[in-house]
Amino acid sequence: MSGISSGFGTWNPIAWGLLVLGIAVIAFALRATGRRDYKKGTDQAKVFLSGNEEPPSPGALHVRGRHLYWGMLDGLDAYYRRAKAFHTGIINDYVAWFVGGLALVGILFVWVG
Amino acid sequence: MTLPRSFKRALWVFHVATGSCNGCDIEIVAALTPRYDVERFGIMLTGTPRHADVLLVTGPVTRPMRPRLERIYAQTPDPKAVVVVGGCGSTSGVFYESYNLVGPIDEVVPVDVYVPGCPPRPEAIIDGVVKAVAKLETLERTVRR
Repeated sequence: MSGISSGFGTWNPIAWGLLVLGIAVIAFALRATGRRDYKKGTDQAKVFLSGNEEPPSPGALHVRGRHLYWGMLDGLDAYYRRAKAFHTGIINDYVAWFVGGLALVGILFVWVG
Repeated sequence: MTLPRSFKRALWVFHVATGSCNGCDIEIVAALTPRYDVERFGIMLTGTPRHADVLLVTGPVTRPMRPRLERIYAQTPDPKAVVVVGGCGSTSGVFYESYNLVGPIDEVVPVDVYVPGCPPRPEAIIDGVVKAVAKLETLERTVRR
């Protein structure tokens, strides 16, 4: 099976297939080094959380994508708290802000111009 | 019960402090320094009991630590050995019958080796771990017969 070559690179399905196969073999080899002598269905199969019991909601102690922004969110917490208060989800509020903002800009135009 | 192949290669140890003053913990850390260098024997500290062969426990067991110690013991795969490091873990030491203790470590989990001292020297801790391995190997031979 021939690949596709262009000025931007080469695509060959066999080469990609071999690469995926190689990665899978390495992944299974690493997995095979793990211990098999643990008892399934007991505490030995549970996540280690420094000896603490796993909470009913497993996500409570897990690191999620939004935690990458924790520093920024925490640093700008005062701003976000006020900004979130504006987002009521009621269209009348948003239209009121729009009309109010438009009126303010209009007044500035008249005042300055 | 048979010992896993890892016992013939290396010994992974998990360290639990159940209320110690950190004196024994510092001696355990000293055993890892270049002067004693237990890693040359294949003895290595691991970050989770799920990978451990031996539990190194220090300090008397305070009330909040009891369920945690029990859970850590339950999470360690079999066969496992428990080595108590220090006088407080062995007998509660100077905190004997304190209102906030549930007792020495053998009141909570079965103990295989005691390393007394306040704190014990790194040589004694290494000797305790080696004795725990010897005990497990003896157990393996007994089971095979």
